[in-house]
Amino acid sequence: MKLSRRDFLKASLVGGSLYIAGSVTGVTGSAAFAQTTEDIPGPLPLIEVGGLIRPPGALPEDKFRAKCIGCNVCVNVCHVMKYDAISLLGLNLPSPPFTKESWSAFFNSGTPHVKAMRDFPCGLCMECPKHCPTGALQKVERENVTMGMALIDFGLCFGWNGDVCLSCSKACPMGGKIFDFYNGEWGNQPYINEKCVGCGLCVKYCPLGGSAIKVVTRQQYEKVKPAYVDDFKKLLSMQTEERYNVVYGQNLPNIMSRGRLIEREYR
Amino acid sequence: MSTDRAAERQSSRATVSGQQSNPPIPPLQKGGKGGFLKLSILRRFVLLGVVVLFLLQFLRINVLVGGLSGSLAVWFVKLIDIFAYLESLVASRDFSTIALLSVLPVMVIYLIFGRAFCGWVCPMDFLFELVDKTKDWSKVKIKVSPRAGYVVMGAFLIASFLLGVPFFTRYFSHLTNFFTLLTSGVFLSLDLPADYMVTFFAGASIFSLLILEYLFPRLWCRVLCPVGKMDGLFNKISLLRLKFVEGSCGECNLCEQRCYMNVRIVPYVVDQPSLRDTNCIYCGRCTEGCAMRSKIIKMKLGR
Repeated sequence: MKLSRRDFLKASLVGGSLYIAGSVTGVTGSAAFAQTTEDIPGPLPLIEVGGLIRPPGALPEDKFRAKCIGCNVCVNVCHVMKYDAISLLGLNLPSPPFTKESWSAFFNSGTPHVKAMRDFPCGLCMECPKHCPTGALQKVERENVTMGMALIDFGLCFGWNGDVCLSCSKACPMGGKIFDFYNGEWGNQPYINEKCVGCGLCVKYCPLGGSAIKVVTRQQYEKVKPAYVDDFKKLLSMQTEERYNVVYGQNLPNIMSRGRLIEREYR
Repeated sequence: MSTDRAAERQSSRATVSGQQSNPPIPPLQKGGKGGFLKLSILRRFVLLGVVVLFLLQFLRINVLVGGLSGSLAVWFVKLIDIFAYLESLVASRDFSTIALLSVLPVMVIYLIFGRAFCGWVCPMDFLFELVDKTKDWSKVKIKVSPRAGYVVMGAFLIASFLLGVPFFTRYFSHLTNFFTLLTSGVFLSLDLPADYMVTFFAGASIFSLLILEYLFPRLWCRVLCPVGKMDGLFNKISLLRLKFVEGSCGECNLCEQRCYMNVRIVPYVVDQPSLRDTNCIYCGRCTEGCAMRSKIIKMKLGR
């Protein structure tokens, strides 16, 4: 029996359609498995993360996804180092309104990112860039990592609402140089400056339910920076009366409602 | 010695061309085995060993970390599949020393063992063999030229170049998907951060390959898989090869019947001292077949 062109086409059709069918069932399957996480809205709900938080030492996004072959080395290296921060992205088939974002999500499928900083932040052991076989992650000094930028939600942070907490600064692997403290009658008021590497350890160790810190990508930070800094300066220069209303009127009820989750078990 | 062999080969060729009576086929030997251990069983132990070494990484023992498309051996030697390297190279349009250093050890392995990777380490070979057992495939022979595979390979490289992502390795590769399935399965069961989509997609692509195998046996290995095609090129110069020791080939065709990859072995036996075919995966099934009668084909390392 000779395989004619028609048979070959049939073979490729069958293979291709099965492939697509499989991935589509994957889509619906994952929707059915949708994780039921805490229903608490995260910190800074108005600010989007603005992309993917890549493992340390990642090349710029275009180069990164061109070089990364999705071989799982970084994921498993992270597991061996007992951090488990990195996980691969699932398949995102481009959906009908073929926007630039949907294609970009498709091309990002199978690349590593730091998925759940609340439970699994990056420990900055710097083993994954050292061991990446493709060069998609480049060796880099700990201080020069630019995974992202941690932003504090001033409305939720204990330090900005009449308390002395210091959890984030204690968790920070970079030590004192990341944090600026504005001590005053309204608390120790931490502020994370631009030397932040975005590892997310502070996100994990924030005692507030759902955390008061959010890590966004560097590009996103450049976009939201003016409004964020403006907010920060406005709070510092506020009159006592006004500040009292902000803290007791708006923030504390918010914080108290999340407080129940303080007893949440850390992993 | 060598003149003897040459003369013998000459005579055997003469008999073939002259269509005279072939040398008598030696009788079937009972209990004829290839060596101390049958190669097809030894092969499975090697595969099991490799998979177990990869599984040890989940117990945080770092002998082999990663998967077969890219891995890290003993926490020191980076390895990356050659086709994955090529795709990554054309996709990024940028030369990277790290990737080159990690592809070199793999090339050395292939220079020694040729395409033995496919027969001995690739997990799909084992899965395909399981599928093969469900049906009698001896009558179904699909004759697509293996050269069509180079077109597929080129198409994937062009797609990678145009799209700017390593297209085959990231989405279709059985090697990536098999080990991604393992990893994400373990991560999900341990309640570590992993995406359900990854598991589903990897599982779906492996499953669709098995269906393809059921409909068209070994079409994937023989023609389509670009990883195997790439490795096959090393068969031409590799140290490992099938040698034909002295003896008369009765052209009983037992070797070709047992060959998964549809290699035409008999013409090589008649004409040449050793087999240099890009589709040979050194699974050793032909030597087992041959051992049943005349023990001509042997797998040998070295010049």
